[in-house]
Amino acid sequence: MQRPILLAVVAVAFTNYAAAQDVYRSPSELKKLSLDELVDVEIMSASRRLEPLSLTAAAVAVLTQEDIHRAGVTNIPDALRLVPGLDVARVDSHTWAISSRGFNDIFANKLLVMIDGRTIYTPLFSGVFWDVQDTLLEDIDRIEVVRGPGATLWGANAVNGVINIITKSAKDTQGFLLSSGSGTEERGFANLRYGTKLADGAFLRVYAKYFNRDSFTLTNGTQAHDAWDMYRAGFRLDWDPASQDSFTFQGDIYTGNEKDAYSVPKTNFPFAGKIRSTDNVSGGNLLGRWSHRFSTDSELTVQTYYDRTVRNTAIFAESRDTGDIDLQHRFALGKGQEVVWGFGFRTTHDEVRNTLNVSLLPDSRTLNLFSAFLQDEISIVPERFRLTLGSKFEHNDFTGFEVQPSARAVWTPGGRQTVWASVSRAVRTPSRAESDIRLNPAPPVPLPPGLVTIFGNPDMLSEELLAYEVGYRIQPADRLTLDLTTFYNDYERLRTLEPVTAGPVSPSKIGNNLFGETYGAELSATAQATDRWRLQAGYSFLEVQLHRKPGSHDNSTEKNLEGSSPHHQFFIRSLVDVGWNIQVDSTLRYVDALPAPKIPSYLTLDVRLSWSPRKDLEFAIVGQNLLDDRHPEFAPTFIGTQQTEVQRSVFGTIKWHF
Amino acid sequence: MAFLKTTGIAAFKGLIVACLLPLTIARAQPPEANREYALKAVFLYNFCRFIEWPKSAFASPNDPIVIGLIGEDPFGPLLNDAVKGEALRGRTIQIEHYRKPEAIGRCHLLFVGRSEMKRLDQILAAVDGRSVVTVGESDAFLDRGGMIALAAEGNRVRLHINPAMLRAASLDVSSKLLSVAEIKP
Repeated sequence: MQRPILLAVVAVAFTNYAAAQDVYRSPSELKKLSLDELVDVEIMSASRRLEPLSLTAAAVAVLTQEDIHRAGVTNIPDALRLVPGLDVARVDSHTWAISSRGFNDIFANKLLVMIDGRTIYTPLFSGVFWDVQDTLLEDIDRIEVVRGPGATLWGANAVNGVINIITKSAKDTQGFLLSSGSGTEERGFANLRYGTKLADGAFLRVYAKYFNRDSFTLTNGTQAHDAWDMYRAGFRLDWDPASQDSFTFQGDIYTGNEKDAYSVPKTNFPFAGKIRSTDNVSGGNLLGRWSHRFSTDSELTVQTYYDRTVRNTAIFAESRDTGDIDLQHRFALGKGQEVVWGFGFRTTHDEVRNTLNVSLLPDSRTLNLFSAFLQDEISIVPERFRLTLGSKFEHNDFTGFEVQPSARAVWTPGGRQTVWASVSRAVRTPSRAESDIRLNPAPPVPLPPGLVTIFGNPDMLSEELLAYEVGYRIQPADRLTLDLTTFYNDYERLRTLEPVTAGPVSPSKIGNNLFGETYGAELSATAQATDRWRLQAGYSFLEVQLHRKPGSHDNSTEKNLEGSSPHHQFFIRSLVDVGWNIQVDSTLRYVDALPAPKIPSYLTLDVRLSWSPRKDLEFAIVGQNLLDDRHPEFAPTFIGTQQTEVQRSVFGTIKWHF
Repeated sequence: MAFLKTTGIAAFKGLIVACLLPLTIARAQPPEANREYALKAVFLYNFCRFIEWPKSAFASPNDPIVIGLIGEDPFGPLLNDAVKGEALRGRTIQIEHYRKPEAIGRCHLLFVGRSEMKRLDQILAAVDGRSVVTVGESDAFLDRGGMIALAAEGNRVRLHINPAMLRAASLDVSSKLLSVAEIKP
């Protein structure tokens, strides 16, 4: 359901400043907020919290519409690069690897991602196909990101982070919006939205968008075969018939063509070959949500959705249908407690087309997930100290019951400071591929298929995390905020690829023989230097130390997982209102080198220059990756796609809103 | 959209309410848990900060700014909490309650709650021609001639302002306030 992360995972899960005395924050507390902050104060969302970001007890970041707009980005992954501590790497023109706190990969599997409450990670590999996650970026209200586990509310897969992309209510997107642009990598794009009032309290918007993106280059500088285009359309209807009820209906459909080149195995010598293809990806979804307020302190939300995805590629094809229903109820219990509980059911059915390269057996499977959660937020010392206890209980078809509890505490000593700490358990349940795959990679030397096959394991166990976090937030001056989080994660039973036979080459089977720890820190700062100049900076440090259990002969996974996320990342962002309706916004970003895959460190600069001659009109020029012609950010894993490099990109846009 | 009400949702709703009834009854009523009006009270205070009245609206330089409430008072003690001890440009803020439109006295800002919409025309007529900021709670309030609406939408309180109406009453609104508001019509 639309449990905005900020509210639900953090505020709800963790505590509520106000729960202390009256459940609301007192007027004298609210008076300290600026007008901008006041209009953002949440009064009765799905979690109905009056919780400014500075009082939440988790590693939270929120990208607002303005952040996204002024970054000049054209896709959701690029927007996520602005979140301190997230690790975003573009593998080729239409493939991204995104993760939080380590373990990055194209098939990264420890991040839960939602759009308006609809889970968009695929049970195929417990990760996200980022190429098909999109909407009209102008319609995004905000992107809420929690680094660290959110499993108590969100369940398995919310292991290292939760991302919720929340679009605006149809009420806030009235009228026409037309935007269009073209450039070196963005060959052409066009967006159209129309919003209208249907009746009192009922608002509708419809949108359509198209883009066509150029190919990147191979490492030798020649053109890669990875250009792509996509068409997408959707709607959202928001209806508030009475003050106690509200309804939302929304849906999207999309189809796109992606060029790709694969190294694949063959049955005859030299047992490897290349194929070039144009792959089709398509899908659609429909979601309905109903919220009912019994009173100011009791609210029920019911949400249901259907989602279909189809990927038709040269090495594998999959169609997947998912149905989900969720119920959540929140109420105040006595004077200082707030309880939230809920349950849900999800069923997902797939049908696949196998090839020698990638096959899943059986070629069709239905998976069911039952879940329930309960959480209590207790005010221990009014306005000073709060404690939140809760747990998720889930049943999945691979590992049966899973329990994911957490305890969180927040202390607000005054002086505009917040100290918080948490201990939580989260699990990452096996995916369909990990259970049922047979993967024949293209052999590096002529070897018949079968000798280096990776076999799934239906008996794979869940990966487990016990996470410890401590955070500190302070606003030392009106115009400056600082936020520091440190974490220590203890992992058990991480996935390994165990050789089946001894010798230099061997097929392997999925096991659970890796354990270890990660630790790190994330620091972010925002400074309003002057009324017209805002600065933001983020730095993150990460260390991954993994160990093989005795008896494991997997000699690659440990090194690959330790080396796939940067130790250091840094960015600084400057947003300037020059005057004369001109904005100059720039972001300088540094990403440390990766040991595995071997990727050099890089420094990039993005600049956006815009001019609004009238309130309804905006012209902008955006330059991305300006400091070099091209650089690699990641490399293919498991599947033999091309190793490409991200190129400098310059494009112009015009936006008209009336 | 009446079909939505009539079809399955009603049945579903009934079922769920029945399931949850024991829980909602069992819980204790929290005291004055009204976050919405805590927020609205602070908005009223901010209006006093960001709106300038003409000198003629006050009898003397130390005359207080008066916030009037008509009819039912949804704020309880919240509004008083928000303004007590505050002084703006040398003026304190006072709250006055009026039972009916005829009783509206000398005030600078008049809050018209949801319950008063039925006699809105009388209320607006009572302050017409005076420099009184009228504040309501819905778009309908603006449509019918009000100046500012504090509308609870989704999970936020949105600010809708009709600057032309304010100007017509010789009231000067700061651009800061306008920048966070939706301008109507």
